[in-house]
Amino acid sequence: MSEKSREFWRWREYRYTMPDMDWHDTKVVTAGVDIGSVGSKAVVMLDGELYSFAAMRTGGESEETAIKVMNWALEETELKTENVPYVVGTGYGRVNVPFAKRTITEIACHARGAHYIYGPTVRTVLDIGGQDCKAIRCDEKGKVMSFLMNDKCAAGTGRGLEVFADLIRVPIEELGKTSLDVEDEPPPVSNTCVIFAKAESLALLRQGLSREKVAAAYHLAMVNRIIDLLTRVGIEKDFVVTGGVAKNTGIVSRLERNLGIKPLEPKLDPILAGAMGAALFAKALYEKEIGLR
Amino acid sequence: MVEEIFQKFRDWIDNRHEYAKEWKEKTNRKIIGYFCTYVPEEILYAADILPVRILGSHEPPTVTEPYIFAMFCHLCRDSLAQGLKGKFDYLDGIVEGQSCLHLRQTFNAWRLHIPVDYAYYIYVPHSVQTPHATPYLTQELAKFKHSLEEWIGRKVTDSDLDRGIRTMNRNRELMRKIYEYRKLDNPKITGLEAMEMVLSSQMVDKEEHSKLVEQLLRELPNRKLNRNPGTRLMIIGSEDDDRIFMQNVENLGATFVIDEHCTGSRYLWNNVSPSEDRLGAIAERYVDRVPCPSKDWPEFTRVKHAVNLAQEFKAQGALVIQNKFCDPHGIEIPPLKEALKSIGVPIYPLEFDVTVPWGQFRTRVEAFLETLTGLEDLF
Repeated sequence: MSEKSREFWRWREYRYTMPDMDWHDTKVVTAGVDIGSVGSKAVVMLDGELYSFAAMRTGGESEETAIKVMNWALEETELKTENVPYVVGTGYGRVNVPFAKRTITEIACHARGAHYIYGPTVRTVLDIGGQDCKAIRCDEKGKVMSFLMNDKCAAGTGRGLEVFADLIRVPIEELGKTSLDVEDEPPPVSNTCVIFAKAESLALLRQGLSREKVAAAYHLAMVNRIIDLLTRVGIEKDFVVTGGVAKNTGIVSRLERNLGIKPLEPKLDPILAGAMGAALFAKALYEKEIGLR
Repeated sequence: MVEEIFQKFRDWIDNRHEYAKEWKEKTNRKIIGYFCTYVPEEILYAADILPVRILGSHEPPTVTEPYIFAMFCHLCRDSLAQGLKGKFDYLDGIVEGQSCLHLRQTFNAWRLHIPVDYAYYIYVPHSVQTPHATPYLTQELAKFKHSLEEWIGRKVTDSDLDRGIRTMNRNRELMRKIYEYRKLDNPKITGLEAMEMVLSSQMVDKEEHSKLVEQLLRELPNRKLNRNPGTRLMIIGSEDDDRIFMQNVENLGATFVIDEHCTGSRYLWNNVSPSEDRLGAIAERYVDRVPCPSKDWPEFTRVKHAVNLAQEFKAQGALVIQNKFCDPHGIEIPPLKEALKSIGVPIYPLEFDVTVPWGQFRTRVEAFLETLTGLEDLF
């Protein structure tokens, strides 16, 4: 691909199966499928432990994407979707997972997934996804106590970052790092609409600001908005970040700097938190169904 | 038969303009549009005029920009849009009972740009928590009555006022009796149906409406609603006629068992206590009614009322609807949240506009329901 036609927003799709696990000797196989507005994730769990997963872009058809991402997660496992007795659908397209027995919101699933990834000390979960951003307070079981979501705007979300990556021609995976490569933090961009924020950033580039500085301005604006949301819901330690944007160091380190609270380091891929939560709920639901609970 | 009654309420709402036009042709009487429930309909009924409430249509407005600020609430913009589009062309006049500045602007824009024969702005006092409020409003109502008399060319007598008071009291009383059936463990009426009952009462002749509510009252005890009530919700906010939202939420495994809206319980909660001084009695009702937050200061009396309702109707959680840009209702959210939390009723706030982004709202409402009851046993 030529440099000119390169898609800087395009993040790598991936799958993985834990090499030292075998589904043949497990009691309960469950799965969670998280169809987000930008990314779709499938997680397969064996007795409530992460076994296999896949993450890919959500296509135009949620149903088709659900089937694809599930099949991809099961690749190399010899399992088929019909061998997974309980699947929970979550995410924006949760009602479009044709093989899911039940749907649960991504809010409950991210809290549950964060509990699995980071442990029972988590009290505040920030999920930054493709289209929205959620600040969630939860208890020691990973149960949601209260939550708030951003409004209709996408400038503070993953999709906004994708648009921005294309604008300054920096691959999305390196965007956070680029934004940190400044000596002084510039003022944040002021527009909350992703289109206007892009236009404002373009104007800054034309004024001669380096792309690192413009990236810093954009990231800072996002972080300020996220902090507003967190402050409204009330932030309590331990604090963690989930969703695709949890991988952006420019966001996470600014959150730490401006909040004065260090988010816990993830032991597992935080983009999978929603699907993990869904798979764990699927386990509880399946155990209820067969009389194990 | 019960289902037919509810269908009739729905038909009245869906065909409100046709109803009004037919009513006018049939009776040869005048129709007045009002914006806020602080307009004393008792006096209009006494003058043989049909009062109908002006509301929006929930279609994205395209015609209001030159006449009203875009940062005024959607009720104001959407109502004005209906007037500008000629939907209310059968109105002989408009009346507003002072509540908020946004509606005042709608009234004024209407008066200036949409031809009507009669327009009157009643200066309902802002400060209702003072002993001066009732005598002040009594005087204002006397001025309003006088102005109406000049317009219709006849006196409105004490016996006319008695009739107006009876018409309004009877309708409110009947609807309040229907509300009692929402207290049951398995309510006999959904939140959407209750909303449609009250909304339609603001659009049609109260005498006709009351007859139907009376019939409903006879038949409701035998109704078997074939649905699981799910989580018992309360809905709180200002004007709300978003029936699609009500239906969508109730389809998620919940029932709205009580509301605190001026298109719901707030409209019918208080009656006029008849007395010799008719206008004084009407004034007292509007001063003492469950207030709109624009008048509810320095005490937040509506918050206490909401707490009582939540307890009486056994709400498990409350959705607080704020119409975007409605400051009076926004100010009230923190004390409301605190007061309801103290009795174990969590709230979730949602911001309404002309249309509602159901995709996002669905996630929020579902997640709120999950926190209330849905996922108790899965941890």
